[in-house]
Amino acid sequence: MTNKLSRRDFLKLASLGAATSAVLTGCGPASRYVTREPYTKMPEYNYNGQSTYFATTCRECAAGCGLVVRTMQGRALKAEGNKHNPVNLGKTCARGQATLHGMYNPDRVQSPLKQARGNNPTDTDWDTAISIVAEALNNPADTAFLMGLAPDHLFDLVTDLCKAIGAPAPIRYGALGMFEARATLGEASRAVFARPDMLFFDIANADTVISFGANFLETWVSPVAYTRGYSQMRRGPGGKRGRLIQIEPRLSQTAAKADEWLPGAPGSEGLVAVALGKLYAEKKFGSAPTAFEAADINLAAEASGIPLEKLEHLADLLAEAEHPLVIPGGATLAQENGLETAKAILTLNALLDNPGKPGGVYFTPANPLSNKYQRAATANEMAEFIGKMNSGAIKTLFVHGVNPVFELPKSLGFEAALAKVGQVISFATFPDETAMLADYILPDHHGLESWGYQRVVTGTGQSMVSGAQPSVAPFYNTRATADVLLAAATKAGGKAAAALPFKDEVEFIQDKVSVLVGAEGGFYNAADLPAFWALFQQFGGWWKNDSSLGVPPQTANAISKELKVSAAKPEGEGEFHLFVYPSPILAEAGANKPWLQETPDPTTTVMWNSWIEINPVTAEELGVEDDDVVTVESAFGVVEVTVYKYPAIRPDVVAIPFGQGHTAYGRYAENRGVNPANLFGTTTNGAGDLAFAGMKVKIQKTGKKRPLSRLESKLGVYGIGMSEEH
Amino acid sequence: MANPKIPEFKADWKEGEEGRWGMAIDMDLCTGCQACVAACSMENNVPFVGEEMSGYGRQMAWLRVERLWEGEYPEVKMTPFQPVMCQQCGSAPCEPVCPVFATVHSQVEQLNLQVYNRCVGTRYCANNCPYVVRVFNWADYDRPEPLPNQFNPDVTVRRRGVMEKCTFCIQRIHKAEDQAKSEGREVVDGEVAPACAQACPADAIVFGRMDDPESRVSKLSKDGRAVHLLEELGTNPRVAYLKGGSNGNLG
Amino acid sequence: MQKIFELLKKPGIQLALLVVILVMVSGAVGLFYFQTQVPPAQPIQFPHNIHIGLQIQCLYCHPGAWRQASAGLPTQQKCWACHGQLKKYWQPEVPVAQWPVELQKLRGFVESNKPIEWVPVYQVPDFVHFNHRPHIAAGVNCENCHGDMSKKTVATVEETVNMGWCLKCHMERTQDDPEKRIKLIDCGTCHY
Repeated sequence: MTNKLSRRDFLKLASLGAATSAVLTGCGPASRYVTREPYTKMPEYNYNGQSTYFATTCRECAAGCGLVVRTMQGRALKAEGNKHNPVNLGKTCARGQATLHGMYNPDRVQSPLKQARGNNPTDTDWDTAISIVAEALNNPADTAFLMGLAPDHLFDLVTDLCKAIGAPAPIRYGALGMFEARATLGEASRAVFARPDMLFFDIANADTVISFGANFLETWVSPVAYTRGYSQMRRGPGGKRGRLIQIEPRLSQTAAKADEWLPGAPGSEGLVAVALGKLYAEKKFGSAPTAFEAADINLAAEASGIPLEKLEHLADLLAEAEHPLVIPGGATLAQENGLETAKAILTLNALLDNPGKPGGVYFTPANPLSNKYQRAATANEMAEFIGKMNSGAIKTLFVHGVNPVFELPKSLGFEAALAKVGQVISFATFPDETAMLADYILPDHHGLESWGYQRVVTGTGQSMVSGAQPSVAPFYNTRATADVLLAAATKAGGKAAAALPFKDEVEFIQDKVSVLVGAEGGFYNAADLPAFWALFQQFGGWWKNDSSLGVPPQTANAISKELKVSAAKPEGEGEFHLFVYPSPILAEAGANKPWLQETPDPTTTVMWNSWIEINPVTAEELGVEDDDVVTVESAFGVVEVTVYKYPAIRPDVVAIPFGQGHTAYGRYAENRGVNPANLFGTTTNGAGDLAFAGMKVKIQKTGKKRPLSRLESKLGVYGIGMSEEH
Repeated sequence: MANPKIPEFKADWKEGEEGRWGMAIDMDLCTGCQACVAACSMENNVPFVGEEMSGYGRQMAWLRVERLWEGEYPEVKMTPFQPVMCQQCGSAPCEPVCPVFATVHSQVEQLNLQVYNRCVGTRYCANNCPYVVRVFNWADYDRPEPLPNQFNPDVTVRRRGVMEKCTFCIQRIHKAEDQAKSEGREVVDGEVAPACAQACPADAIVFGRMDDPESRVSKLSKDGRAVHLLEELGTNPRVAYLKGGSNGNLG
Repeated sequence: MQKIFELLKKPGIQLALLVVILVMVSGAVGLFYFQTQVPPAQPIQFPHNIHIGLQIQCLYCHPGAWRQASAGLPTQQKCWACHGQLKKYWQPEVPVAQWPVELQKLRGFVESNKPIEWVPVYQVPDFVHFNHRPHIAAGVNCENCHGDMSKKTVATVEETVNMGWCLKCHMERTQDDPEKRIKLIDCGTCHY
C-alpha cells in the first residue's frame, strides 16, 4: 500500500494488462518483491524484525526527560518515555513524541557548509572546518560562545575550554527561559530565602494551589513533571482532591484545568499577592506581619479587577488548607515590577509556612556533577553581549543550541549586531534564522544521534544527571560539536589541547561522570568506570534514590521584611495589553515538525498558523470577526495576524502565541504565522529579565481575511457540539 | 424519541456484555496537552495533511481532544478536555453499513476492525459513526524522504481512498498476547498500553482487560463517575469517561 | 449517457471492448499465476540442498522463525563463519579462481564488506502481518509451506500464497476447535 500510483496511472497500467493481477488479488502491483539491505555483520543485540530500545534524553526542551527510543534495523521508529527517569517516569509530552520528525526532517543541514552570511552555500569538509575552529581558538579574547538553555555536557566542555584558553565564559540563552523569567525567580529567592536557586514547587502534595499565571501544564520549566504533580494533587492523599486557582489575564490550558480562573489585570499580581497575605494573616492570626501590614486590599481589587469578595474567598481557601502553595508564573514576573511581585509571592509562601514542607517550596537538589545552579542569561545580559558584538570586540561567534535571531526580541538588535561580528560559526542541525546568517554551518548530530548528558535542573527531588546515547547512526554527514571542538583544541595546541586531552566526546563524558563511580545512594552502584558506563547507558543517566530537596531557611525572617509593591507601569502607547505566551505545542523550536504543526492548540484548536486572541465584546467594538486580519503595533514593531475571538480573555488584553513566524527553519516552519517577539520592547525588571508582559499595543483592522485551520470547525464551537459533518 | 435504539444487527451481542478490551479516561486529570494525539500519530503512521486540508476538517488524527465553551466572559468556563477516539462499540453503527465488509467486528478481541485491503472508500461507516472518529484518506499524503524512516512496520501504511480509525493499538495487543502465549499464560493487567495511555503525563488514560473484574479499567468503568458517550444510542462503547472531581480512585 | 449507449451499439466498438476485456482477463490470470509468484534473481544461487545434506538445520540460518515474526536471512558473517575456515578451501589454501562460482561471489561480498541483498521469496503485502512463531509453535513444519528444501537449490514459491491458501489451512486445523477457529479466521488476526 505504500507505493504511490495515481488512479489514472493505475488504470493505464491495468489496461495494458501489466497490473491486472492487482485487480484480482487486491494487493499492490509492482512492489511485491523487494530487495533488502541487510547488515554485513549483524550486531549481536539485534534480531531480525525485533526492536532494540535505547535510553536517552529528550532535547526538545531543557527539562531533561528520559526517552527510550524504539529502533529496528538501524531506524528509529518511536520515542517513548523512560520509566526509570525520575523527571518523567515513562511519560512524554507532545513535543517529545514528535522528536523523530526533527531527526528525519527533509530540511536538515546535511553536511558542513561554507557560506557568505547565507549567500552561496558550498559544501566544505570537516578538516577545513576544524582548522577554522582551531584558528578561532588561537585568538581566545575575540571569541565568544552562545549556547542553548540546557546545562549539558557540551556546555561543560565549552566552559572548560574557555577557562583554559582565557576566552569569556559561554553565555546560555533560550526563549523559554525568558518566558519563565527564571532570573527573576532566582533573584527573589535570594532576597526571600537567601539563596539564588531554581525553586521546586511541590504541587503533588499541596491541597490548595494558587498559580499566578504559571503555565506548568504547558511549557513552564518541567511540564511533564509538573503535570504528574498536578495529577497527584487532584487525586490527593486519602482521596482528598486538591484545588487549583489560576490568576492570569487569559484562560490558558493550565487555567482551563483550574477550579477557578480569575482574570487579573497584567501587572497587578504583586498587589493581589500582598492583599491575599494580609487577608490570610488577619483571618488566621488576627494581625498581619510586617511584610503584609501595608497591603491595600481595595487597591488590589481595583487594579486587578478581581472583586473584593473573591479575594476574601481565596484567603478563606488558603486559611482552610493544610498544604497551601502559591506559584509565580513567567508572564507575572515579566513586568517592570516583576522582581517585587516575585518577592511578594515567595514571601506569601513563607507566610503560609510551606517552605521545606510537603506541598511547599523547596530548593532544587544540588546536581551530582555541579553544585552550582547556573542560570541562563537575562535580557539585560544579552543586551550587554549584543553591545559587545556591536563594538566589534567579537571576531568569532560560535552559536549552538539556540536561534537568537528568532528567539531574542527584535528590539535588542541581535541581527544587526551579527553584521559587526567578523565570523559567525553555527553548529545548528537545522537551517534556522541564525544559521542562515552564519559564515559556516558545522552541523551537530540530532539529539537522538548523539552522546551526552544533561544536568537536570528541576522537576524531581532526586539529584540527577540524565544520560544520552545515539539511538541510530548519524543519518547525514554531521559531526558532534564536542568532537569538532576537541579536534580543534588538539590542532590549536597549547592550553586548549592541554585542557582537553580527550580522544572524543565519549571520553570527555566518561571523564565527567567518573566522579559518580562508586557514589553512594544511587539508583545503581558500579565499582569501576566500564560497569558504570554500561549502566549509565542502560538506564539513561544516574540519580539518587532518595529525594534531596533543599529546605529554605526559617520563614520568620522573610515575613518580617517590608514588601514594596505597586502596580506595574506599562510600556508604550495603545489600548490593549499584549500578552504573549509560548505555544503549548510548538514552544520555541517545534515549528519545523509537521506533526506538531498539525496538532491542534489545546485551547483554540488552531493548527499550522498564528492568531491573536481578542475578547468577543472587544472584537465587536473593533468591528472584526473571526479570520479577519488586524495589525498589531507596538513602539518596536508591527505584525499582521488573524483574529480568533477568544471567549476567555480580558477585554483589555490581546494574546498571541510565540512559536511561529519563522523566516527560515525548513519548509514546515517558513513563512507561517508571525513572531510576536518582534513587538517586544527593551524595558527590564529589577532582575534584568525582559518585561515582555507589560507592553501596550494598538490594533487596527486591515479589511483582509485569512482563514485559520481549526479542529473545532469540524466539531462546532460554542456548544453546538459534534453536529456538523466532517 | 425516548430511547432511540439502533436496531440490533449482531446476533451474538448481548446487552451488558463487557467486551474484552476497554479504556477509562479521567477527565479531571486530562490536561489537554495533546501528548496522546502526537503519540498515537507516531505509533500508527498517521499522515499530516497540511494547513489547507486540515482547514477542510481532513486532519487524519485518530484521536482528538475536545473542549467546548460555556457562558460568557467573565463567567466563562471551558468544559473538561475530553480525548475522543474510536469507542470500539460492542454494537457499532459503522459495521452494518459497510457494503464490502471492511468494517467488521472482531469476535476474538471484541474490537471494531477496519480492514484496509477490503475498504473501497464508500465512507458510509464514517457517516454512520455518531462519534465522528473515523478519518478518510482523501489523498496519498506526501511524507518527503527521509520521514518514512520512522514508519512503524507493525502498522499498515494506508493509501488513498481508505478509511481508518483508532485500533486500540491492536499491534501492541497482538504482541503482548503472542508473548504471553509463548510463555503459556494470560496477558496480565497493565501489560498492554496503547500509545496514548503510555504517553499520558497525567496518567488520565487507563487501558486493560474488561473481562477481568479485577483489572484497573474494569473497576474504573464501574465507578460512580463513569459515563459513556452517547450511551442512549445503545452502541455499548468500551471507553468510559470519568467526570467531575477525582476521589483518589486511580491511585 | 445517451451518447454512450449509442456508441455501444456499434459492432466495432463492441468487438474492441470484447478484445480489451479478454486481454485484461487473460493477462490477469496469467500474471496471477506467474509474475506475482516468481521472485527476481538472488545475488547468490544458494544451494539449499547441499546445506541440508550436511545436516544443517533450517533454524541455524533462519533463527527468527521459532521465536518471532520474521525468520530472518543470514548475513555474510554467518556464511563466512563456516566458509572462512572450511578445510577443503583453506588447508592448503585454494586459489579463488578454483572455487565454485557461487562461493567466489560470497568471498567477493566478504572482501568488499557489502551486504548480501537477499530477495525474500515468500512475501506478503504490507497490510498482512504474518508471524512465524505461532506457526512453528502449532507444529507446522518449515516444509509444509516452503516445500522440501533438500531437493532445491534457490528457494522458490511452492504454494500460491494468498488469503485462500492461508484460510484453507487455518480452517482444516481448527475443525474440532471452534474457539480457536474464531481466532484464526478473524480479520484482525492478520490485518491491522
